[in-house]
Amino acid sequence: MSRFTALVPRALGRPLSAIGGVLLLIAAMLPWATFLLNEGAYPDKATLQFFDAPFELTGFRWHMLLFGIAGVVITFVPLLGKGRALRALGWGGLAISVVSAIFITSEGGGLGAITAADGAYAFGAVAGILGGLALIFGAGAVGIDDIPHWPDAPFGWTGWAERLFSWAVLLVSFVAMLWLVSETLTAGGSAGVSSPYAGAVFLAFLGMAGGLLGALHGVGFTGWISRMSERHRAFSVVVLLVCAAALPFTSAGTQYWMNVAGTIGIYAATAIGLNIVVGLAGLLDLGYVAFMGIGAFVAANLSGATAAKLGITLPFPVAAVIAAVVVGVFGVIVGSPTLRVRGDYLAIVTLAFGEIFTRSAQNNIGDLTGGANAIPSIPAIAVGGLEFNEPITLFGTELPAGVMYYFLITLLVALVMAVFANLKNSRIGRAWIAIREDEDVARAMGIKTGKMKILAFLTGATLAGLAGAVFAHKLGTSSYDAFTFLQSVTLLAAVILGGMGSIPGAVMGAALLFVLPEKLREFEEYRLLLFGLALILIMRFRPQGLVPDRLRRAEFAGETAEGKSIEAVQEQAVIEQEHELEASKGGKA
Amino acid sequence: MNAAARHSMSETVLEASGVTMVFGGLTALNDVSMTLGEGRIVGLIGPNGAGKTTFFNCLTGLYTPTRGSVRLRGNQLPSDPAKVTVAGIARTFQNVRLFPNMSVLENVLVGRHIQMKQGPLASLFHGPGFHRVERAARKRARELLEFVGLTGDENTAARNLPYGDQRRLEIARALATEPAVLLLDEPTAGMNPQETEAARQLIFRIRDTGVSVVVIEHDTKFIFSLCDSVSVLVQGEVLVEGSPDTVRDDPRVIEAYLGKPREEVEAEVAEARTTVIPRYRDDQPGDQTEVIERYREDQP
Repeated sequence: MSRFTALVPRALGRPLSAIGGVLLLIAAMLPWATFLLNEGAYPDKATLQFFDAPFELTGFRWHMLLFGIAGVVITFVPLLGKGRALRALGWGGLAISVVSAIFITSEGGGLGAITAADGAYAFGAVAGILGGLALIFGAGAVGIDDIPHWPDAPFGWTGWAERLFSWAVLLVSFVAMLWLVSETLTAGGSAGVSSPYAGAVFLAFLGMAGGLLGALHGVGFTGWISRMSERHRAFSVVVLLVCAAALPFTSAGTQYWMNVAGTIGIYAATAIGLNIVVGLAGLLDLGYVAFMGIGAFVAANLSGATAAKLGITLPFPVAAVIAAVVVGVFGVIVGSPTLRVRGDYLAIVTLAFGEIFTRSAQNNIGDLTGGANAIPSIPAIAVGGLEFNEPITLFGTELPAGVMYYFLITLLVALVMAVFANLKNSRIGRAWIAIREDEDVARAMGIKTGKMKILAFLTGATLAGLAGAVFAHKLGTSSYDAFTFLQSVTLLAAVILGGMGSIPGAVMGAALLFVLPEKLREFEEYRLLLFGLALILIMRFRPQGLVPDRLRRAEFAGETAEGKSIEAVQEQAVIEQEHELEASKGGKA
Repeated sequence: MNAAARHSMSETVLEASGVTMVFGGLTALNDVSMTLGEGRIVGLIGPNGAGKTTFFNCLTGLYTPTRGSVRLRGNQLPSDPAKVTVAGIARTFQNVRLFPNMSVLENVLVGRHIQMKQGPLASLFHGPGFHRVERAARKRARELLEFVGLTGDENTAARNLPYGDQRRLEIARALATEPAVLLLDEPTAGMNPQETEAARQLIFRIRDTGVSVVVIEHDTKFIFSLCDSVSVLVQGEVLVEGSPDTVRDDPRVIEAYLGKPREEVEAEVAEARTTVIPRYRDDQPGDQTEVIERYREDQP
């Protein structure tokens, strides 16, 4: 894209991006559809003109309005990284417009729906698309510079002043993030398939969120926040936990979304476990979901479900620990071939292991898995008479059923994150990364690579086993078809999509991969097509993952860890070397 | 025995005797012996393909010698690179092999691996002892970075360092294992004269800390000005071994490694100019045997 945007002369940059901003503004005020769609007014007031209902501007038109204002303001304000910010705003506006245009066109039966038909005019989408493009091209001409580096503490504050300031900023940022997450979940209807426009509204919202975050990243804000949260790690962790616990109290606190959020959490925990094996130790595992499955079946058999053959009833914590231990043993068994096989061959071995598990479970091996009938009616987890699948009242607020599972899973994710972070920043984590980078050299450094690789499998498998145990109880059933190759691949995609070796990345990846299909339900037959398309686009434009590990981010962006461009650093080194050479020549002469 | 006698002034640290390495039908090393005294620098030179790196790999446990033995302070070395490192031999690689996506500091910390004894549980729970060991490791790693002269940002990815700094980082990482013997495989390859001189000073400083050093090099000037003793390896065999002065003046070395003396080469060239080289003409196929025979007679 930069090839094309560079075609615009620099002098045209500002006027063009200003025009883009104004076009977005105008688009927000114009009608978007020429007639009322069969399913009802396209989201909110989009079929009406701004002038008909100026104070009822909601949904994506509101976002377009804000993007337009931001575009115009940023164009004329002296601001470092403005090119990046304008470009992100342009892409955001373009995404919102394109999604809406495609949707209205297909629903309304032709291009007439978004242009002119039967004497009515609706050029909102057209103006939005043009505005988005103008911003993108204008931004290219303004210049895409390095992301500015904000000073860590303002006014040179130190000690308590810096601490209080950082805490306040972090608190506001995390609350804003909570709002964004809650809004993203509920965009287009808070109870699933309630609105016929849910998919389009959700995608438009994603476009807005992407544009907003991109712009904040471009001006250096997100980098500043992330450095701040690294400095105040304990505080950030506490606030994040509180925010996660507060999600049920927001508009996302419905039974449906608590359920989805719980499922995401379980997959996120599993993805972080997989991240140890793949992201840290670099061992490609294509059968990872089998560990989760074994955990689920062990827990199911110990839960007292009537279909369970063992007929033993153990309290959940005990069953979960047993499940984790059993799965850990399987982890060691599967890990042992890694001593002999590497790379692609290891992937095939793990793939085979995954298949062995699925087929065995399908055929009800040892009467332990229920075969095609699965193990149904697993009782809910109960602690002190509190059934986890019942609604509860907390602080005077009625919380929906499933919220206890949500809390439990939040704890599980926090635990898995702590395990990952602690191991990563230790002698063992470094040994894993060294093995990933160069196994022979790792050996030459005295690392017992075989032991370390098996340890990676053991840890990853144990975490997956824990997640599987919770999963079985939450779902109330444990069936082989929840643990197939497709799930393994999706988990792997979550890890790679989010950014290898990064914790927030794995959570983001899992959230995206398990929310997106849920949100795209009303596209029915196109659902998986769109899903695949989204994956391809993300990997094309962000190969390092959504929230990459610090050093990995640098690797892909051609930047050093501090955000300087590698080329600039290398040039500097060459210049210094030449200076040295000249100096030494001068000295000799 | 001879070698041992020559180094009797200092205690022997590393002793390779009769190391023979056969790959299938190819004898890469034939009866190579080398002795390294405490606090000494020994150089290993030889033309490409002479078996220098193969010898290094035998010393570090990457290869198990077909015959012969390698002893560190009298103990037979195990044939496992990890155990050899624990025993006290560290190495660098001919083409720099850092952990490219780890930071500079992390690279050295990986070198500290065998010096740290935290098990999985300590790594998982990060108890108070964990932080003490971790802090000590970081402190030592920073000392080593300073020692080799890497004063830049320790959080840069290793792959982003300039080439010369990557070499230094590799040495710091090897030193982090606290070795008794350091093996350097072409430490100055691709360096300019200033960097080469800095590397020479660095190796002297390493020697002064009590680490014995073995260096493989192509740069003979560098090796003669650095080493206490030099072995010349040609086609898998030790051709000459001795002090830099003896080795430098040995005609066999000059011929094998540096080429023949200038006068001899000039004479050969002159002779070649006067010799008529018969040509094979394919329009006269019958002449072929005659031409070849005439050619053979012309040869001395």
